[in-house]
Amino acid sequence: MIELRNVSKSYSKGRVKAVDDLTLTVRPGEIFGFLGPNGAGKTTTIKMIVGLLKPDRGAVRVEGFDVQREPLRSKAVTTFVPDTPAIYERLTGLEYLNFIGDVYGVPKNDRLARIEKGLEMFELGPAVGSPIQSYSHGMKQKIVLLAALLPFPKVMVLDEPMVGLDARSAHHMKTLMREHCGRGGTLFFSTHIMEVAEKVCDRIAIIHKGRLIAEGTMAELRGRNGTEESLESIFLELTEA
Amino acid sequence: MSRLSSLVRTALRVNFGLSLFRPKEFLRRKRDLWMLPLFALGAASLGPVLYFYLKVIGAFYRWLAPSGQQAVLLTAAVLLGQVFILIFGFYYIISAFYFSRDLEVLVPLPLTPIQVMLSKFVVILANEYLTVALLVLPVFISYGVLERAGVLYWITAGLVYLLLPVLPLAIVGLLVVGLMRVANFGRKKDALIIVGSLVLMTAALGGQVWLSRSAGSSASPEEVARFLASSDGLIRSLGAKFPPSIWASTAMARGFSKAGLWNALLFAGFSAGLFLGLLVAAEKMFYHGLVGLGERAARRKRLDREALAGRLSSGRRPVRAVFIRELRVMNRTPIFLLNGVLSVILIPIIFVLMAKTGSGQSDTSRLIAVLGAANPATAALGAALFMAICACLNGTSSSTFSREGGQFWMSKVIPVAPRDQAKGKFLHSFAVALLGIAAASVVVIIIARPAVPVFAAALAIAVVGSFVLTVFGMLIDLARPLLEWTNPQKAIKQNLNVLLAVLGDLAFMALMFFVVRLMKKAGLSGNALVAAVFVLLAAAAAGSYRLLLVFADRRYPQIEL
Repeated sequence: MIELRNVSKSYSKGRVKAVDDLTLTVRPGEIFGFLGPNGAGKTTTIKMIVGLLKPDRGAVRVEGFDVQREPLRSKAVTTFVPDTPAIYERLTGLEYLNFIGDVYGVPKNDRLARIEKGLEMFELGPAVGSPIQSYSHGMKQKIVLLAALLPFPKVMVLDEPMVGLDARSAHHMKTLMREHCGRGGTLFFSTHIMEVAEKVCDRIAIIHKGRLIAEGTMAELRGRNGTEESLESIFLELTEA
Repeated sequence: MSRLSSLVRTALRVNFGLSLFRPKEFLRRKRDLWMLPLFALGAASLGPVLYFYLKVIGAFYRWLAPSGQQAVLLTAAVLLGQVFILIFGFYYIISAFYFSRDLEVLVPLPLTPIQVMLSKFVVILANEYLTVALLVLPVFISYGVLERAGVLYWITAGLVYLLLPVLPLAIVGLLVVGLMRVANFGRKKDALIIVGSLVLMTAALGGQVWLSRSAGSSASPEEVARFLASSDGLIRSLGAKFPPSIWASTAMARGFSKAGLWNALLFAGFSAGLFLGLLVAAEKMFYHGLVGLGERAARRKRLDREALAGRLSSGRRPVRAVFIRELRVMNRTPIFLLNGVLSVILIPIIFVLMAKTGSGQSDTSRLIAVLGAANPATAALGAALFMAICACLNGTSSSTFSREGGQFWMSKVIPVAPRDQAKGKFLHSFAVALLGIAAASVVVIIIARPAVPVFAAALAIAVVGSFVLTVFGMLIDLARPLLEWTNPQKAIKQNLNVLLAVLGDLAFMALMFFVVRLMKKAGLSGNALVAAVFVLLAAAAAGSYRLLLVFADRRYPQIEL
């Protein structure tokens, strides 16, 4: 579960409000899509959830742990995939997975089974022993996703996870996201791909200029206008100004 | 032209972080103000060095002036500055021309190879002006003041200073561009950096041996007389191996005379010629060596279940996991490797060469051994100081956080307490320092041949002293980590934290020197003195380590990405 209560974050002496009094809850077993135009505050929100940024006001709780006050407990149940896969390029894929397994305390047998499955699914088997610097952008994205899945976290936070993935990997990713939530996990992800959000998400929130402007299931979002509009149309309408 | 100037301006802004420079913001955000005294301390610690340097220059001037040979000071300064740039420029040129990450952005732009290369060249030039300023400017200024030189001298000196790095950088640039075109290492760019650096180190060591031999060769009385008869005899002797230094110094010393103007013309013309040569080479060869360099080849081999299981770790402790990550990342990144592990090995080798290649080396060795035997406590402290210098005067600990760069987000999100991450990083930095101590120990044994108890005492003090200095370097880097870089060189070679740490280390060593003197005055000597120093350093080590852990817990959450 992820809870944000009246969270605000601003830059440039408070002149630019990146996130403004944001309150939302993501329940266990839920895939939560977080949408918004460029610069709306999506990545800032995500960074506050995973502890990369400190909110100016408000509180973020993950599985009941305050991210600022109990950082180790909240981090132990969360994994994160950033929008650009900036990872240790001098390590091999396997060394990187081992590092993540070590710091999250994943037992060796679980590690083997999960890595085997992930390598098969993302077709990374032949590359896992090579340095990450030899990977393509998509392969880097896949190894970061695989690492984020490795600890079987309770909460996954993904910033634009589909960027760089080929169609097959994107399909597998969606399956894995569903599996994660099937185990009772929580998944929070941002995306610009409306079709993905529409098909995959249990609930969706739209943020614009730092403020939450819509939140609910697809049916609830459509119900606002009483039409059968696509998510894209709803998004464009809401973020027009 | 406007495209080129825009490119150069952008490159300079990126290099010096001018876009991020906000003095008002810095003053407003009071939390960073504590850095000001640190900078002041760093700058102040240069004071004594500069003072000593000026005294030496003055002494040499007074010694040379009666025979009219004082202009040799200018030759020496130009020669020193240019050789310095020649050696270290190789490193800068190769990484800026071929391995900066911004090349991926620049090459597809509608810019000519010359424009891209020039923007890189200007940035290196600007850095070199700053690098050699301390070496060269005190000589130029002292000479001008002592000679009561006229305006023309100051103008010529300014021009020589502006041209000084152009020539060696153009030479190195031509070599590097040619090497990249002909050898075409292509995808093995790491190998290229290592090979290039080894060439550089060999050149540095070769130069050292050559200089030592030159200094050691005895001149006959006739030669000395001939030197003294000619007012520029010494200049010609010193600059014989690198004539541009003679041209530059003659241009400055002779001013508005035929010889002065001719030499000025020679110096400027030769620099301009080589620079033009570099431009031509850049147009023809720069992109050929560059294209495809960013690609990495790797042998892909699927691991079967057994092999995969064999290579999985069985749950290391987080501290150990961080330590191993540090070790791998450092040792597999050539620039980090060269500035860490290789430099702690190289420094002692240089010392051995210095001691062994000059004239009368056996006398020096014997003298050290005799002095050591006469005063074992001083010998132990001196050897410990040498070991600590070899172990810690490198950028390993003072760039440990900066080296993570954009990957620091991982350190922020993993469930490992900052203090445990700091422990892992400390273990790595201290391991490199221990390697330096081991290398220095071999030198101490070869040169000074100390008695076993003296050596053991030196080793113990060096270990605790290096412990303190390692923590000190980490504290500085943690206080202001440089995480936004595109070229790994910026994280370690152009990282101000490394310089601050070196200055701090020197200040700490000076402090310890005065503490030892106080102890001696208080009546401590022999074993008691050595033991007291050890206890003092051990206490400092324990205290500083605790401080590091507390600071890590406090600082990590403050670093926002």
